[in-house]
Amino acid sequence: MPRRAALRRLGWGFWASAAWVVLLVLAAALADLLPLHPYDRTLAGPPQSGPSPAHPFGTDGLGRDMLSRVVYGARVSLGVGIGAVLLGLLIGAPFGLVAGYRGRLTDAVIMSVNDIALAFPALVFALAVVAFAGASMRNVLIVLGVLGVPAWTRLIRGATMAFAGREFVTAARALGARDRRILWREIVPNVALPASSYAFIGMAVAVVAEGGLAFLGLSVQPPTPTWGGLINEGRNIMETAPHVVLAPSLVLFVTVLAFNLVGDRLRALTDVREIGLEPGRRRAALPPLPAAEHDVEPALLQVADLRTHFETARGTVRAVDGVSFALNRGRTLAIVGESGSGKSMLIRSILGLLPAAGVRRGGKVYLEGREIGDLEPEDLREILGTRFAAVFQDPMTALNPVRTIGAQVMEPLRVHLKLTRAAARARAADLLASVGIPDPVRMLKRYPHQLSGGMRQRVTIAMALSCDPDVLFADEPTTALDVTVQDQVLRLIHRQREERDMAMVLVSHDLAVVAQWADEVIVMYGGKVVERGPAAALFEHTRMPYTEALLQAIPALSDPSHKRLRVIQGRPPDLAAPPAGCRFQPRCPYARERCASEEPPLVRAETRDHLYACWYPLGTEAAAAEEAEIIEGTESRGR
Amino acid sequence: MLRVEDLVVEFPAGRGRKVHAVSGVSFDVARGETLGIVGESGCGKSTTARALMQLPRPLSGSVRLDGAELTALGGETLRRTRRRLQMIFQDPISSLNPRRKVRDIVAEGPRLWGLPAAEAEKKVDEMLTAVGLDPGVAAGRRPHEFSGGQCQRICIARALVLEPEVVICDEPVSALDVSVQAQILGLLEDLKERYRLTLVFIAHDLAVVKNVSDRILVMYLGKTCELAPSDALVERPAHPYTRALLASIPGAPVAGAQRYERLTSGEPPSAADPPSGCRFRTRCPRAEARCAAEEPAMRRVGDDQWVACHFPHV
Repeated sequence: MPRRAALRRLGWGFWASAAWVVLLVLAAALADLLPLHPYDRTLAGPPQSGPSPAHPFGTDGLGRDMLSRVVYGARVSLGVGIGAVLLGLLIGAPFGLVAGYRGRLTDAVIMSVNDIALAFPALVFALAVVAFAGASMRNVLIVLGVLGVPAWTRLIRGATMAFAGREFVTAARALGARDRRILWREIVPNVALPASSYAFIGMAVAVVAEGGLAFLGLSVQPPTPTWGGLINEGRNIMETAPHVVLAPSLVLFVTVLAFNLVGDRLRALTDVREIGLEPGRRRAALPPLPAAEHDVEPALLQVADLRTHFETARGTVRAVDGVSFALNRGRTLAIVGESGSGKSMLIRSILGLLPAAGVRRGGKVYLEGREIGDLEPEDLREILGTRFAAVFQDPMTALNPVRTIGAQVMEPLRVHLKLTRAAARARAADLLASVGIPDPVRMLKRYPHQLSGGMRQRVTIAMALSCDPDVLFADEPTTALDVTVQDQVLRLIHRQREERDMAMVLVSHDLAVVAQWADEVIVMYGGKVVERGPAAALFEHTRMPYTEALLQAIPALSDPSHKRLRVIQGRPPDLAAPPAGCRFQPRCPYARERCASEEPPLVRAETRDHLYACWYPLGTEAAAAEEAEIIEGTESRGR
Repeated sequence: MLRVEDLVVEFPAGRGRKVHAVSGVSFDVARGETLGIVGESGCGKSTTARALMQLPRPLSGSVRLDGAELTALGGETLRRTRRRLQMIFQDPISSLNPRRKVRDIVAEGPRLWGLPAAEAEKKVDEMLTAVGLDPGVAAGRRPHEFSGGQCQRICIARALVLEPEVVICDEPVSALDVSVQAQILGLLEDLKERYRLTLVFIAHDLAVVKNVSDRILVMYLGKTCELAPSDALVERPAHPYTRALLASIPGAPVAGAQRYERLTSGEPPSAADPPSGCRFRTRCPRAEARCAAEEPAMRRVGDDQWVACHFPHV
């Protein structure tokens, strides 16, 4: 996340608010130097006169300049606001840090005391103390500051706990750091941002509280002006001179708003993580990219020249760049590739699960020869619910944690198949039984968190199968599961695919899984298909050097220990600025001049349906001839 | 070098119950050896790793580093000894402080132990180079500017800069892509030779563990199932659980694995309420009455091959 982008994301509202706060602080601090009328000089102008060039905010009942009084009033308001927050932070933060870091008994004691303090009726307490100890700025500041301590303790403790459990803290302890150093170096810098965001909101609260006290006459006493006091004074003459109330009210309102906005935007900064695909400028649907000429095949699912480009601040990211394939019933197509290869984005593009802003789409998707991109949104939704189904990597994100399994499995049955409640319940139990869940009727009443990861994934599979889909999309369905459970779940998916005569698109990074379960394989690299074909042909007669490199990078159980794996040098391409020619060329040991200048098209190998995109494919006559040429060079081939 | 005996770790699970995370695990690691620990999630392998570091201390049992009993050491002595053991974590991004620069992250150890700034700086540059990063480019940046693989390299640099003797790698490659995984595994092997390290390598992927380990310890629900040299374990697995693990690896990775009994259903029971006797018996295809009544002890079944089972495949 580049710093500039982060600052830009704060938005103009933040900057306007920050400017207002800075202006106000400067004005209050430099009030004596500004060309203002003294705030307490009566008859500086005609009493109760409205705004004029000499008195921009008008004058009050005694003819005192309102602008001057508001600016001097800011001294009290901001002084109390900032001072109270700093005081609360100074007392509360150490308690919060210690409670959050130490945990256990320390935490229990500090938080119990804190909870009792929080239960105190704060404003009544403030009124009582100020009435008893005397109304002065110092007293108000101390009371409001101390009242803020429990909230600060709680906030800092929460933020500290979130970081104290992180591995970098364990790592620091392993290095031999003492607790104090860990708190100071590892935790405080991370807690600072959420704390500063809360500080601004806390200032807004303190400013309002001071205003309230002043309004009741329990803050700094006249003649020193305060905003709350000004509003109180103006109350009596509101009918003849409304500006006397309006001016301080408006300034108070804008100030509180500004503090809140600054705090809120700072908090957003801690919440959001950029993934690099955020739209550069907010624009609605972009015009689609043109699709290449293609024939519509009589397949169940056909994808033709599919493209998904993200318009980001860094430029166009070509996440999916011209992918085509056709898939028939009863077949499993696997899409393999590393992170960033576009494999998951391809699935999302087919299913139409892309963000609306900043995306340019291209290409066509056909279901039994009918283009689904042309359909009305309602018809499309019908297809997504019934004919296409999807299972994702993390079952917990697919399941609603506060609804029972039964309610969630029954929902598609009731919505799409219009079953009655009883029929849906019976069907749901059957579905759960079919995915190997023991005691399905009882399972319907349970919640997702009561299930193990493998069981949850079985439930999401049951949900996906509920409306008898034609194509099942499985995006890394077993990556989060243990190997023995993975085996069970893959067997289950495979059996269901056969029984229901579905087609399946399986996205996986695990080549062993793919080799065992797929009929056809697509290898993706940098958003493009680099090799595609029947699984056996592709794995046995690999043509594309990237596929070969991937296969050799995986440790095999049959290899002896300490065998060095093939290492692919370099990093995957930046899809905002992909290399010229073949996208794998900068990392390819066989690359030559042509690879960097011309992009290799997908061409057919001898085996039917086996395609690859490489100028110098492995294991071919051409390569052998070329190999003879370079054999005197320093490079030698693995094959 | 490292000798672990009867390690026990338990966590409170609320309402007076306890999670028996690790229950009596024993092993030793010779100088320069790599011991692999393999098992499924919840088997206690990561808890074992942390217990070795005394983060937190185990409930009972002994961890000796070069004869020094770590569990008996007091705060300050332990802090001094701990630097001889370092750790690499699974999530490279979460194990780097997002607010610190790479230079400060790697220099933390040397600074803690009082190395002068200039020397620490030199050491950091040397270490970053050793893990394959360009110090000139990398040192001034923050972790989020790096990919997962590069972050793991930074973690390795941080762990090795104190010149530890034993490095505990807790799933160091499971969050990485295969090509990056190969890079990190290669790097670990290089550094192991260069700095003469002793490694404890924990992972759930048996093939990865076998690739780097001399011996492998198989864990299930807080207990040891089998401990054997890597080749023997893969070629002649004696424990039914080891065989089931091999059988569930997709494809036919080793000869004979196809015939092994796989686990058709069921998942590990809860560690809060482990089965009596042998903890694997509820899923074991060979389980008999004796397995419920009597807990199997570790016994030798072959050359340096140990198994905790009443009815091992030998």
